[in-house]
Amino acid sequence: MSNCDAVDSNEHPWLGRVVKVGLFLLAQSIAVLLVSFVALLVSFAPGWSATTEQASLLQPGDAKSGSLLLKEDSAYTEAIRLGIDVDITVSGPTLRTRVTQIFRNPTKDWVEATYVYPLAADGAVDTLKMVVGDRVIVGDIKARQQARAIYEQARRNGQRAALTEQERPNIFTNSVANIGPGETVLVQIEYQEPVHQSGNEYSLRVPLVVGPRYNPAPIVQSVDFRKDGSGWGATHSDPVPDRDRISPPVLDPANNAPINPTSITVHLKAGFALGEVKSHHHNVKIASPDNATRVVTLADGNVPADRDFELTWKPTAEKAPSVGLFREHVGDADYLLAFVTPPAAEQTTQKPLPREVLFVIDNSGSMGGTSIEQAKASLLYALGRLQPNDRFNVIRFDDTMDVLFPTPVPADTTHVSEATSFVSALQARGGTEMVPAMRAALTDKLGDTNTVRQIVFLTDGAIGNEQQLFETITAMRGRSRIFMVGIGSAPNTYLMTRASELGRGAFTHIGSVEQVDERMRGLFAKLENPAVTGLTAKFSEAKVDVTPAIIPDIYRDEPLVLAAKLDKLAGSLEIKGRVGDRPWSVTLPLQNAAEGKGLSKLWARRKIGDAEVARTLREMTPEDTDKTILALALDHQIVTRLTSLVAVDKTPSRPEGQPLKVSELPINLPAGWDFAKVFGERPQLTPTQLRERRADAGQPAARRPAPVTPDAIRLPKTATSAALKMIAGLIMIVLALILFVFNRRQRLLTDVA
Amino acid sequence: MPRFISPLVLALVGTILFGDGAYIHAKAWLAQVLLERAFDHSVATGQPFKPWSWADTWPVARIEVKRIGASAIVLEGTSGQALAFGPGHIHQTVDAGERGVAVYAAHRDTHFRFLRDVATGDVIDVTRSDGKRFRYRADASSVVHFDASGIDPTTHGFELVLATCWPFDSVTSGPERYILHATLIGTDG
Repeated sequence: MSNCDAVDSNEHPWLGRVVKVGLFLLAQSIAVLLVSFVALLVSFAPGWSATTEQASLLQPGDAKSGSLLLKEDSAYTEAIRLGIDVDITVSGPTLRTRVTQIFRNPTKDWVEATYVYPLAADGAVDTLKMVVGDRVIVGDIKARQQARAIYEQARRNGQRAALTEQERPNIFTNSVANIGPGETVLVQIEYQEPVHQSGNEYSLRVPLVVGPRYNPAPIVQSVDFRKDGSGWGATHSDPVPDRDRISPPVLDPANNAPINPTSITVHLKAGFALGEVKSHHHNVKIASPDNATRVVTLADGNVPADRDFELTWKPTAEKAPSVGLFREHVGDADYLLAFVTPPAAEQTTQKPLPREVLFVIDNSGSMGGTSIEQAKASLLYALGRLQPNDRFNVIRFDDTMDVLFPTPVPADTTHVSEATSFVSALQARGGTEMVPAMRAALTDKLGDTNTVRQIVFLTDGAIGNEQQLFETITAMRGRSRIFMVGIGSAPNTYLMTRASELGRGAFTHIGSVEQVDERMRGLFAKLENPAVTGLTAKFSEAKVDVTPAIIPDIYRDEPLVLAAKLDKLAGSLEIKGRVGDRPWSVTLPLQNAAEGKGLSKLWARRKIGDAEVARTLREMTPEDTDKTILALALDHQIVTRLTSLVAVDKTPSRPEGQPLKVSELPINLPAGWDFAKVFGERPQLTPTQLRERRADAGQPAARRPAPVTPDAIRLPKTATSAALKMIAGLIMIVLALILFVFNRRQRLLTDVA
Repeated sequence: MPRFISPLVLALVGTILFGDGAYIHAKAWLAQVLLERAFDHSVATGQPFKPWSWADTWPVARIEVKRIGASAIVLEGTSGQALAFGPGHIHQTVDAGERGVAVYAAHRDTHFRFLRDVATGDVIDVTRSDGKRFRYRADASSVVHFDASGIDPTTHGFELVLATCWPFDSVTSGPERYILHATLIGTDG
């Protein structure tokens, strides 16, 4: 049989080859499995993964150029450090504040830093200085686009540059480009502001942090039809188009120590003998060089920038001066600033008109913590002050809204106690949809013209769509008067002042529970006493440009503040009005005016405010408003929404080819706020990312990193190269086999031959 | 025998390439086995449990489509590393079962290969690591660009999105993604 086998094999020589090829294939597949498992065992390292992460992290806007990277780890320890020094000089009616921001770069990279910070709403920012080493570079005022272009150019060229832009009248952004490794750059801005007066008390307020704003989602589109009746119009989809510019990263106080240490010094030269000087939210040391001067410093050195600094002072005399007149000569014009406190009206013989009071309380998430307690205490105080013949209603809102009574009800015991328990049960949560609440409050259901209609609106104003609110007030105010009560450690002062100005009311700040009693008493004095109405100002000789153009009504204890530009300082100023139902007038000779500082800037700032109001009231077209503002701003060198300050160090510092990283400086949560109440409900919106960007030489001008908008969930790369590799591998193996077989056959053929 | 060298080199390179590809699949398969164990441990203890000691992620949920017998363990995060081992939960989105939209993404050629077989109307079960089970019903699918997913993270519904690369049979990666949308229909456990 063995023979037979041998014969068989000799008879079919190709059979052996087939067996051999089969064996080879088997060995090959074993080898493949072996190699793959050896690879598996030897290294389970992530580096082997065929997918890369970067594709998913590209920002949408920059995906094409592939230059922008978003880093999501919390690398703040390695980020730019910031220190703030605030130096304020009060000279009589005005104050000048110098804010120095110290940007220190402890990293090994070149960095661009942006910091969003608040300033007083009526401040005129006119100076930007950048200090690098021993060089001081002074900024120039430029139209906003132009300033931005200059800054971007310098940034690309590797030059140090600083840019100050206005995002809201009380929110500014500083950008500093090309801070070298280990380097410190100082950016200094200065602004002028009038001192505030209320009754016997003078005050200044330095906001130190921008409270996170609620930016309503662009769900409902509003339509503006053209005025020519052609039927064409445009839709506005986003109520806060610049949401990314006013939303810096916010650190959760539970996980991070407070940042941005701030020191504050106030040189107080009141111009009269000083009585009580008081800081309301910070511990201070007060030195008294003489009886009209004080130097106020923080007792504990530095504080984190997480609440407003508020300082008030009173004269020693029983009564504060009721008139103040100050002048400044700039260029070929004189500028005048006048403070006049009308006399308090004695209670007239006739009974005051009954009132209809609507209380609106904000119980949104941003009010969480101590703010809601202050708001509730204030509202409960107010309810207690109602007279039986008053009518009232209570509205509460977050992103929902409740109106307590269908129509305003008499303030009898039953209704007031019902309102008291309603208010006591309120809790802070949800978003801040302020516009519908304002609309509900302005809806005049009774229409009873024999009553005075007053709206008391308690909020921190932490919204980004201020303009929408202003438009609502303008459109619906009717006979209602709006009194804003700003609650919390860092309220939005711009919103409060403008809303009460448009609503022809007044506004009050309450920064702590201790202030509730005193401040609410002041507010009620305004509500219960007749206002000074029908005010006019007349200059006897000079040609003038007065602001405010239409003088608002003045409530009890408030001064009338006028700013004017005159062609000559001569003659007198006569102010007329009615206190309650009695006529009142006062005449001020202009020669007696004292020298003041920075009055021209204050005048310009108020003119700009007037123009913005006129636009809201639709008395001016947006184009005309912009033209007016731009001219004023460039004339008087102040930062507005249309102008920015830019400083460029002419010597390049960053070597070409070195990358530049972007660091958006995080801010503290305002004191007393509850992080979870503000951000907890929408964790995906928590802006805790640090953004990084590399600037390559010759790359086209990039704007700030595009916002991570909620609707831009970017899907990661979800394809492996497994199939590609396996196919390529198989093709090569097959090729190898073919070559092998071909070679073998050739050899066999030569053997046979 | 110099003429054997070229086919041998070719065979070796081919083997390595093939092995590399097979390795991705092997890793994906083996990781799921380890993850299955870790996930059961998580459900039992209620604590996040790392599947292997040096892992930088942990299982957060199990996705099952009973009709086609598919199942996968989802990991937290969608870094390339996490996606090599299992589907990832895009961490700006909510957890399954919560108000909003939960988005899970995975490779089209490994863990989410089964998505091509999932039809509208299929029931998708998601078990969270705390043991809660949520039942979703697939109601729509679409092909989108990776940076314009159209997914609304602030939606008021209870939604689920499974995402992978598109097209399924392509061997190179591209910008297009396939997304399968589902809505919560029930909760148990």
